[in-house]
Amino acid sequence: MTSPKTILIVDDSRVSRMMARNYIGVLHADWNIEEAGSGEEALLKARSVSPDLILMDVNMPGMGGMAAAEQLRQEWPAVPISLLTANVQTATRERAAALGLGFVEKPITEARIATLLATLTAA
Amino acid sequence: MFALTELENDALIEIFNIGVGQAAASMSAIVDEPVAMSVPSISFVDRREAARLLDSKDPEAERICGVSQHFEGAFDTQAILMFPEDKSLEIVRLMVGEAVPLKELTEMEQEAMCEIGNIILNSCVGTLANIFHHELHGSLPQYHVGTSDEIMNASGSQPDTVVLMLHIDFVLERHQIRGYVAFVLDVTALHDLKEQINRYIARAMGQE
Repeated sequence: MTSPKTILIVDDSRVSRMMARNYIGVLHADWNIEEAGSGEEALLKARSVSPDLILMDVNMPGMGGMAAAEQLRQEWPAVPISLLTANVQTATRERAAALGLGFVEKPITEARIATLLATLTAA
Repeated sequence: MFALTELENDALIEIFNIGVGQAAASMSAIVDEPVAMSVPSISFVDRREAARLLDSKDPEAERICGVSQHFEGAFDTQAILMFPEDKSLEIVRLMVGEAVPLKELTEMEQEAMCEIGNIILNSCVGTLANIFHHELHGSLPQYHVGTSDEIMNASGSQPDTVVLMLHIDFVLERHQIRGYVAFVLDVTALHDLKEQINRYIARAMGQE
């Protein structure tokens, strides 16, 4: 049992945010789930809600997820951040590892979200 | 005249087979049912002929829904995922489940198809990049609806440009939905791809 947390989902796809929200809600009904549709919005939202966990898409218009995650990592070094992305390339995984980010590939499924949250909350 | 040796052709098909295998696995995870796929077929044709080839795959589908992404890096390509337009809402429904009301589902159809295209095309192209040990950078997905001719024209250069048309059919068996993935490369990109294939062959033979 984990204490209620605030999780920030960053994805330009409304459908992906909706699916992630649904799966997180099923697993942790008491968590506060916040959303951002871009890297820029994620930075602003993080400052206002102080998330405990962040899920980050990579390929987004404007500031990409990797750049946003890098900035968020500097501002909140202790907050677990994981990429949740369709970009399955080794180069992306290596960049994530170098920044201390988790990595989960899309499509979003309940099992993947469950494993991801278990990993992030154990971190 | 651009040509591939028998070995290069074999390697090209094998590499794209692996890539599309990953894409089929992603598609299967999205719709939660088995996805069967064909062996990739390769043709060197102009864009008009490429559109005609797509038409011949499913003559009953007058309008196609396509999601395209441009990738550049090891080689440049336009990757396109296509479904019959009348099946796209059904695919989105399979993705998001029964809980979402039809009105909301219809509103998000285009966006959802973009995300499905993004996942499937990146799954395939990402696998190719990993095989080639060379990163490929993708654009944001773009959604098109129209005839196969319109889809092909919306996704790139002049109709008479010679392209490599590499296409693979896949079928969602339970729902009998047929889709296609096509990769379009112009002559410069073909030479870059050929170079990557030869590096792959050299690695496979322990020469690099």
